[in-house]
Amino acid sequence: MEGFKQMLQSRYAAHEMRWAMLIGPIVIVLMLLSSCGSTPAAEAPPPEAESEAAEPAAETESEAAETMDGEGTLQLRANGEDFVRQGFVTKDGWNITFDHVYVTLANITAYQSDPPFDADAGGQPEAEVNVTADQTYTVDLAEGDENAETILIDELTAPAGRYNAISWDMVPAADGPSSGAVVTMIGTAERDGETVGFTIQLDRETTETCGDFVGDERKGILEADATADLEATFHFDHIFGDGEAAPDDEINTGALGFDPFAALADGGTLEADPATLQAELSAEDYEQLQQKHLAHVGEGHCSTSE
Amino acid sequence: MNKWVLGIPIIALLSLPFLSSVSAHGVEISYTATEAIVVEINAAFDTGEPMAEAQVAVYAPNDAAEPWMTGTADEDGLFTFIPDPDIPGTWEVVVRQSGHGDTVYVTIEADETGNTVVNASGTSNPYTPAQMIMMGASVVWGCIGTALYFISRRG
Repeated sequence: MEGFKQMLQSRYAAHEMRWAMLIGPIVIVLMLLSSCGSTPAAEAPPPEAESEAAEPAAETESEAAETMDGEGTLQLRANGEDFVRQGFVTKDGWNITFDHVYVTLANITAYQSDPPFDADAGGQPEAEVNVTADQTYTVDLAEGDENAETILIDELTAPAGRYNAISWDMVPAADGPSSGAVVTMIGTAERDGETVGFTIQLDRETTETCGDFVGDERKGILEADATADLEATFHFDHIFGDGEAAPDDEINTGALGFDPFAALADGGTLEADPATLQAELSAEDYEQLQQKHLAHVGEGHCSTSE
Repeated sequence: MNKWVLGIPIIALLSLPFLSSVSAHGVEISYTATEAIVVEINAAFDTGEPMAEAQVAVYAPNDAAEPWMTGTADEDGLFTFIPDPDIPGTWEVVVRQSGHGDTVYVTIEADETGNTVVNASGTSNPYTPAQMIMMGASVVWGCIGTALYFISRRG
């Protein structure tokens, strides 16, 4: 510090340094801000289009306000997507077809969350209005042909409004073909003339809390005396990978594929209950399997808790 | 699972309610530039890879069913739009690409003075690490400069 004082004894030098010290940071910040502002703008609707859109939108709001007082029918649906209904090729080249994919869900609750629920942030939806299906349901996601509708779990009479969040528990089935398991996958895997008939059961119990559905259509907008639906979506490519995606795609780098399961087959048959998987898969593969997040809302995310 | 993040730098354009008019040959053309809020969406996978050319749908608070506008993000996963300040409430921005998607929410409302204010959820830090370091360094340098300034005055 003494060195600095000596240097600053020259009034001219001190004057120059004062300006440099004060202006320097300002210049740096201005440079940074200018670098953040170079984003090309997307095309906004022309003023005419905006004004045209504003009129019917206002009517829609008015109509919606009138109808939001009543009740409607809220359908709860489950969807294993095309991977389950049509089959798919895993990241390691196995052609998988499913006969049955059972999942068991309980405490399915739909929320009118305000503010909207952010699954990536976690927590719970803040909703004054919610409805719960108080039964436990085991559904077969592979039911129907490849063009079948998504699986209807239940229908609830619910207050009209915007249901933009949903939660459910993944629980073991009490009885039936999936008894004792949370998820049971039954199907056939084929590769290069080798065939493995498999039954794979998972037992990880979780609570899935999800935000708004993201997909080709909007869901959960329930008007009085009308019907709307919400969907619990399951992504099984997160376990097996997707042969149509690049090998370095995250969907594949984070997936097990089918090879680890095929290695457990005996005479072309694999019967793998949760205890078998834990005992015979490598510790790394078993841990990876346990951490897979199957639950989504369309393409939207869920927050998973044990 | 390809998780991804959205950043929403919200840029309040300079408040310039100015009016200009031109009169020639009996025609008067005028325009008014008013304060506007520009919302910039920055969509990327959690690997940092931009969601290039992702589909974007913007829903206004008064119509959750039909998009107020649609568009496509640029090569860097950036998309900007100017919400209508006359439609206050929560605007929903849905971004999708290759089977992955998410929604971010932007709340437009007026404060006590009538100015439009914006809040966003589902946002991430819009600055790169290098920008953060430079901003931190400039703050430190500002403190040192201020200290030296007063030291020089006492000297």
